[in-house]
Amino acid sequence: MALLELDELTRRFGGLVAVDHVTMRVEEGEVRAVIGPNGAGKSTLFNLITGVLKPTEGRVRFAGESVTGLSVPRICQRGIARTFQLTALFPEMSARDNARLAAQARDTGRWHFQGGAATLARAGAHADRALERLGLGAIAGRPAGLLSHGDQRLLEVAMALAQEPRLLLLDEPTQGLSVEETEQAVATLAGLLADGQMTVLLVEHDMEVVFRLAHQITVLHRGAVIADGPPQAIKDNADVQSAYLGGIF
Amino acid sequence: MLALAPLLFAPYTMTLLTEALILGLFAMSLDLMIGYTRLISFGHAAAYGFGAYACGWLLLHTALPMLVAIPVAALLAGMLAIGVAWVCTQATGVSFSMLTLAFAQLLYAVAYKWTSITGGSDGLAGIPRRPGPFGLRLFGTRDGFYYLVVIVLLAAFVFCRALVRSPFGAVLRGIRENEPKTLALGYNTRVYKIAVVALSYALGAFAGALYAPFAGFANTELLFWLLSGQVVIMVIVGGAGTLVGPILGAAFFLTVEHQLSNYTEAWALFFGLMFIAFVIFAPEGIWGLVTARRAREYADGTPRTR
Repeated sequence: MALLELDELTRRFGGLVAVDHVTMRVEEGEVRAVIGPNGAGKSTLFNLITGVLKPTEGRVRFAGESVTGLSVPRICQRGIARTFQLTALFPEMSARDNARLAAQARDTGRWHFQGGAATLARAGAHADRALERLGLGAIAGRPAGLLSHGDQRLLEVAMALAQEPRLLLLDEPTQGLSVEETEQAVATLAGLLADGQMTVLLVEHDMEVVFRLAHQITVLHRGAVIADGPPQAIKDNADVQSAYLGGIF
Repeated sequence: MLALAPLLFAPYTMTLLTEALILGLFAMSLDLMIGYTRLISFGHAAAYGFGAYACGWLLLHTALPMLVAIPVAALLAGMLAIGVAWVCTQATGVSFSMLTLAFAQLLYAVAYKWTSITGGSDGLAGIPRRPGPFGLRLFGTRDGFYYLVVIVLLAAFVFCRALVRSPFGAVLRGIRENEPKTLALGYNTRVYKIAVVALSYALGAFAGALYAPFAGFANTELLFWLLSGQVVIMVIVGGAGTLVGPILGAAFFLTVEHQLSNYTEAWALFFGLMFIAFVIFAPEGIWGLVTARRAREYADGTPRTR
């Protein structure tokens, strides 16, 4: 069953069609990358899925139910977690407290006046597991704002994992990383995805990263889907070559 | 130490100390918004003044004893604040602050004009410390009232500390540091903000409701923007986000006011200079200075970012 279905999804800003009748399916357990040149509508697409923007036309279905037009926290509570292109953390809180706040949302997502200590302990245990999975256990006590850029990117992924989402949206996880940091981050992510349990939608500029992580690729150009398929088919696709990849391969 | 104060100090000092603790409760209530959620209210006098007027009116026009009238006034303020917060949290940042100020000024104008209820520019005078329930007279005396204020302040402190350490408090800190991210984690941040504003106003009104029978009057000064500004200063000078700090800040403010005003009419000028000095040289406030040594580093040795 498709976990995420986009049906003729469209968003206009005045005369500009940022996302143009995009139809796409993400199957359970699939890692799908969305690629395309700058301004292709990738970030707008993420914002439409997560409820930051409302679509002009079309629908978003998640796990068989429409989530079109729901608020950001509602959609998140359905089980969609995301990271941001520009790192978004709580800089003065420790890495652990960052992850704990993320995990706490998963616990009930709502009110916690009583049962506070138990909720915090449960969320803390989840946070620690998520940090370990990304190799951040040793720096859990440091304020997030003082971590290296690479660790901050990974912390954001850890926070998303701590929410135990059914669908994980990664917005350029290697953005701004050095070559070594990228290598390390991709190895960590590949390890995370190796068991095939996670369903991931990934926006990424680095083609090497995309071809290492993704099972399926959707190519956007000026808001519209111009190709869709497994990595090898995308590499060989003439339209994609001219629109975007031209000269790389 | 607070329990023994009446044995040690002169009556005048006791009156001053009682007022300092009432203002301390007021400042601590604002710290929930400023220090823990980064919601800067420039209209917190609305809570204080409303509490004072409501409690004063209840004591003057109903048979309710003081110990009932005070919490009832706070409760009314909290319920009213839900509506105010619902409007104010439509905005963020400076616009939020301006909206809180606008509501306080609105309340000020109402208190000024609605003479039949509020006494207009004269305010409410002769507010009694009515005893009871069950003929309980204990808190009516000067020292008795002092103990009442101490008990309320301690209870409020324990409550606030539990609140900021709870999962609810963790979400407030998330809003303080990065509201869009908190929203993206699945928290409906607006509901949390409305809740903390209502709690903060209710506690602030509790302080005002204590002030009415303490001073025996309630007037429009208690709703004036000057008080809203002063309580922000108390919070920042004392140390925002610490709960204890604002209580010290309020005591400091009152002490400076009383000492300096013996010498000069322009005491506020000198207090203003002190405020500037604090913001530049000790941004973590009085409590930040007190705890400086252990706060400079986190447990694992990494330095603090502020």
